[in-house]
Amino acid sequence: MKNQLRFILLLAMAPLFVNAQLSKTIQIELEHVIGNSKLLNIDSTFVLHQKDTFKIHTLRYYISGIELYKNKQVVYSEINSFHLIDLNQASSLKFSLLVPASLEYDGLNFKLGIDSVTNTSGALGGALDPSKGMYWSWQSGYINLKIEGLSNRIPTNNQQFQLHLGGYTYPYLALQTISLQTNNENNICIQFDLEQWLSKIPLANQHHIMSPSNAAVLISTMAAQAFSICTTSKR
Amino acid sequence: MSAYIYIKKEPFTSPKNWPQPVYNFSKNPLNFATIELGRNLFYDPILSKDNTISCASCHLQYTAFTHVDHALSHGINDSIGTRNAPALMNLAWQSSFMWDGAINHLDMQALAPISHPAEMGEQLDQVILKLQQSPAYRKRFFLAFKDSVITGEHTLKALSQFMLTLVSSNSKYDSVMRQQSHFTQQEKNGYKLFKSLCNDCHTEPLFSKYEFANIGLPISKSLNDSGRIKITHKVSDAFKFKIPSLRNIAFSQPYMHDGRFKKLSEVLNHYANGIEWSETLAPQLEKPIDISSEAKVDLIAFLMTLTDKHFLFSPEYGYPKKKLTQTPK
Repeated sequence: MKNQLRFILLLAMAPLFVNAQLSKTIQIELEHVIGNSKLLNIDSTFVLHQKDTFKIHTLRYYISGIELYKNKQVVYSEINSFHLIDLNQASSLKFSLLVPASLEYDGLNFKLGIDSVTNTSGALGGALDPSKGMYWSWQSGYINLKIEGLSNRIPTNNQQFQLHLGGYTYPYLALQTISLQTNNENNICIQFDLEQWLSKIPLANQHHIMSPSNAAVLISTMAAQAFSICTTSKR
Repeated sequence: MSAYIYIKKEPFTSPKNWPQPVYNFSKNPLNFATIELGRNLFYDPILSKDNTISCASCHLQYTAFTHVDHALSHGINDSIGTRNAPALMNLAWQSSFMWDGAINHLDMQALAPISHPAEMGEQLDQVILKLQQSPAYRKRFFLAFKDSVITGEHTLKALSQFMLTLVSSNSKYDSVMRQQSHFTQQEKNGYKLFKSLCNDCHTEPLFSKYEFANIGLPISKSLNDSGRIKITHKVSDAFKFKIPSLRNIAFSQPYMHDGRFKKLSEVLNHYANGIEWSETLAPQLEKPIDISSEAKVDLIAFLMTLTDKHFLFSPEYGYPKKKLTQTPK
């Protein structure tokens, strides 16, 4: 009788083992680089083009709607796919996707920012909790990407720049879609090249953006272009 | 022996013959524990930076949750805002908030006054830290959300739940519509005038269609407020403000987005002969409204029937029976 019970219990638990076997994790890692070198310490000063100094103390952005592709067909889309990446929080730079074990992919798609439906869905939790400092209080909407720091390119006394980029309604649609080709591996390393991005931003005129605008959309587009799959030679 | 039937009162019911609420209740299902938590938060100055200002500081029940006699909203350190605190009622039927519609969802509305430097001057993450330190609040959050870890989402949803219960539907007008009462002759005359002159924008039964309109108010030079255009960046939205409901209008003076009029008669005088033309003026106001002084009196008599005593004085909307935090001196 006892053995029978054990057998039934084992039988009942079988799907758990099967499930465990049928799925694998794919780790996604975000790497922030300045050209060829990895940005290790926030608040460290770096120089671009031998003359422009930068010091970044805040860099936060949302990655959402992650999808994996094979031959241009979606083979996996993450449910409730919202990740708040914070350069000041090492734990936010890595997360994993639970996918079917047999999954093969050759491409990755994600959004930089928060879509319009989510923007109008009221109070949400987790990465989207409005207490995370990524929500505009005076005019509803998520901040897709926030960068704050100092640069000698800023023509003001304090040399501060604060770019809070967002906007989900026409004509200021700041949400960006990023598509990257990858190898079918269990780790995907995505790099965000700040040199490439910061070099393009007209910081002399645009160093204080706090609401949806043409400039916010333009600078969001520039940010999206600075994402790629990591090159291996970083140090 | 008759069976004992326990009838549970619904936390929210839509009045008969009203349109469907626009608030999505399925994402924040109302329950009494959460409503009570929201009520505590609404009346607690813990939401402000120096623990001196609560929502109720500018939204008082006895004046339909607006700030009577104060044209512009007040905040911490005696600061004064730029707009008249709006009355809070029938919020479940509204899809945008603030005079310029800057807020797209009731849940997010409270964030604006909490963080505005001239209102509560606080950040939501700081509010959460303060609430988390209070055993009484941790308990209430657990009762409401089955989680004593306090989050921004839960704080805002609880506030929404209380605000959603602020339904005003028991005025004399409502009882006449339900055929439980009768208008006087004067009120009848006023209702007829209302139907022909006002109902286009202040549409029954909510007494607003909750759109935006420019009603030709001369622009205040000191405030220089261009209204909805700041949100939509559309030229066609210049000087437009949200059309307020006329319910409880006799108790919610002063009037207009900047509180410029103290009396209803001043409001009617504006419509009769104060309108300034501009590109975006409401088409209904292109021609001056020809209205005699007798007609004005009749119209005001009708507007008085929109007063809902139950809403203004029922203890269910008032200060909570038990305060959850001690206000520091």
